Amino acid sequence: MSPIYAKRRRRNSMFLGLSVVATLFGLGWLAVILGTLLYEGFTGIDLAIFTASTPPPGLDGGLLNAIVGSLIMTSLAVLAGTPIGILVGTYLAEYGRYTRLAFVVRLVNDILLSAPSIVLGLFIYELVVVNMGHFSGWAGAAALTVIVIPVVVRTTENMLILIPNTLREAAAALGAPRAHVIRKVTWRAARTGMITGVLLAVARISGETAPLLFTSLNNQFWSADLNAPMASLPVAIFQMALSPYADWQRLAWAGALLITMAVLFLSVVARLLGSSSQSERD
Amino acid sequence: MVDSISPKVKVAIENLSFYYGDNAALKNISLPLYANKVTAFIGPSGCGKSTLLRALNRIFELYPDQRAEGKLLLDGVDILGRDQDVNILRLKIGMVFQKPTPFPMTIFDNVAFGLQLHERLPRSELEGRVEMALKRAALWEEVRDKLHVGGNSLSGGQQQRLCIARSVATKPEIILLDEPCSALDPISTAKIEELISELSDDYTIVIVTHNMQQASRVSHYTAFMFLGELIEFGATEQVFTAPANKKTEDYITGRFG
Amino acid sequence: MADIVSSAHSTPTFATARTRRAHRADHIFHGLTRICAVFVLLMFASIVLSLVIGAWPAFEAFGFAFLWTEVWNPVRDLFGAAAPIYGTLVTSAIAMIIAVPVGIGIAIFLTELCPRVLRRTIGIVVELLAGIPSIIYGIWGLFVLAPILQQTVQPALVGIFEGIPFFESLFAGPPYGIGMFTAGLILAIMTLPFITAITRDVFETVPSVLKEAAYGMGATTWEVVWNVVLPYARGGVVGGIMLALGRALGETMAVTFVIGNAHRISVSLFAPGTTISAAIANEFTEAIGELYVAALIELGLILFFVTFLVLAAAQYMLYRLEARTGERA
Repeated sequence: MSPIYAKRRRRNSMFLGLSVVATLFGLGWLAVILGTLLYEGFTGIDLAIFTASTPPPGLDGGLLNAIVGSLIMTSLAVLAGTPIGILVGTYLAEYGRYTRLAFVVRLVNDILLSAPSIVLGLFIYELVVVNMGHFSGWAGAAALTVIVIPVVVRTTENMLILIPNTLREAAAALGAPRAHVIRKVTWRAARTGMITGVLLAVARISGETAPLLFTSLNNQFWSADLNAPMASLPVAIFQMALSPYADWQRLAWAGALLITMAVLFLSVVARLLGSSSQSERD
Repeated sequence: MVDSISPKVKVAIENLSFYYGDNAALKNISLPLYANKVTAFIGPSGCGKSTLLRALNRIFELYPDQRAEGKLLLDGVDILGRDQDVNILRLKIGMVFQKPTPFPMTIFDNVAFGLQLHERLPRSELEGRVEMALKRAALWEEVRDKLHVGGNSLSGGQQQRLCIARSVATKPEIILLDEPCSALDPISTAKIEELISELSDDYTIVIVTHNMQQASRVSHYTAFMFLGELIEFGATEQVFTAPANKKTEDYITGRFG
Repeated sequence: MADIVSSAHSTPTFATARTRRAHRADHIFHGLTRICAVFVLLMFASIVLSLVIGAWPAFEAFGFAFLWTEVWNPVRDLFGAAAPIYGTLVTSAIAMIIAVPVGIGIAIFLTELCPRVLRRTIGIVVELLAGIPSIIYGIWGLFVLAPILQQTVQPALVGIFEGIPFFESLFAGPPYGIGMFTAGLILAIMTLPFITAITRDVFETVPSVLKEAAYGMGATTWEVVWNVVLPYARGGVVGGIMLALGRALGETMAVTFVIGNAHRISVSLFAPGTTISAAIANEFTEAIGELYVAALIELGLILFFVTFLVLAAAQYMLYRLEARTGERA
């Protein structure tokens, strides 16, 4: 073996070895985090989590108000954001695909997609909380909606673009007007992909804390009143984790586990849906 | 195969030119499409035959930088006119594409799609029309028990016949076929060619094909195109046995294309 | 069926009332989608506008000096953004320094080394991890990482670098456990899966013929990666890194728990500090006084502006890659 070749092989082994180390390092930390989460979270979970509201420190309680609050605001955000997101995605993929307006909207949308969510919270604070005069579940839902829209826009557009033009032409050739083609054929063909996008949006907002901090604030007591500050899992966890009370910290871990399981579940479902539609298309 | 009396002209193509942006894909084409006959467009790749076909039902209007100039007279009325409703036009002209494109719906809904666009039919009548269309497309026997299964579950040849059924369901007057068999196996191809011959009794048919044997089997009239121009048009028998133009002869005998 | 409506004065048309209605519905739908598209633009403009309006009192009071003033005194209504800005930059820098090589390393492992059977599974795991909410990282950092750092790693690092001029001050001071170093570390772990996922996607756009040509000449795996894959995917990788940077800059929950919340610029990485998002998260609900609130909003505006620049640059690089390969990462 020539000396040059030996050197090349050594370099190869070294760098590839480093990449293995990187993988073990990176995935190792994440495994540790998940392990800790599972351990701490599970020891903190009991039935009371789902039946009692957040307690004052030192007393027993659960996370019911936070769970319900999160469910309410998440549902509202999805209900409000999904139709808008789908319509914009449809514009970008169908009507306006090569127009300048579409280019700008796509750019802005991609920026909103990765914008700091705390800034979006500030925006809704200014827009809703200041005008209403108080924190509210509505404001929290509005902040989450602002996060949902760009996600749905992006996934809808991506899914629609994948639909081959021949399908659209076949429908148009039968005399269907554009809107009909889109609604009855193109959307239908992209249906699974679009649902996946909505699931991903839900997964994303399930864990968002920052935008809720000063829009829906938090609520120690049971309340389903959207006009008042509303509890949410992420904010409840935030408050309780930062406190010095052991039982609050226990609840925080339990809540963290709940959120993580919800997010992972949604992501897995989205993946399964995505791959089943892929195999259908092939 | 040519009638002794002059056949009726269903569509008169007059001085048609077509542009992709600034690029002229069709140059001043004029030819007649005779009623209840099969006309084939043949020619090498890029000659404009598909472009010409797609001008006939204005499907090119889905794309902003494509435009047509000239006249297309369907029963004397110019289809390219500004005030023509393109959706009604497409009711009269059906189209079948190269790749079978069943909609993501049941077989029944696929065939009913066009019907439900333009007419409000009671359920029983709808079912009758769907059955009729599937029979005309020689598909009824194979799918009568699974009308509510997805269109995607059929084989390639069956899917293409489904697309044909979809087109004839709306009782068009003209059917356009863009290389309908090129994605199919020889047996399905034979079935569809047989279908085309039957359908020509009731419909005016235009077929684009790169398969010359198919053109000579199936069509009454043939138009040979090259680089966007119409080189020769005439009765199929005459074009294939005694072409008037040298280029036509070269193409037919396989010297190029 | 279609009626040919003709009159003596116009050319016969194929229109009927039904299709006229359908056309109107078509126009309405088209208009609706367009309105929604414009709505997205309006939303963006509103965000910027509301931030500017909210920050105005602070801008009036402090001017541009806000950017380099360190003092943060709510009692006397004196505010400066220097400490949060510093903290944001430092924690993000630490995060990138660690996460970029490791993330790319994992991506290389996944695309070149990993046995095919495992490839899909690990890839999916990485993507799922990228979706874990940041608050999870935050509390883990607070309860698990910070104590470990405080008890073992930090004292060790202080000991190692004692006596070495520059590094001594970098790793100095009492080991709090929380501080900019911890926050940077958490941020790194959080950003890892994201960088890996994007880099791997970008690597997969490299045409295999290119790699095969290099292998065919006898190049080692590393040489193919270094000389063919990385140069080809350069734009996409840089774009992905900038995307990750944009997210790291704006990240709130991962850092708020462990940053220490001190409006102070310190040389030592172990010292507590604050970032823009942590400052806003911790202080906004208790901020009294118009100027305090405005100062916090101005912080938000600065953050939005900076992330906007970074993200716009990232998008530009990713569009360039898309133009080349036709694929969106």
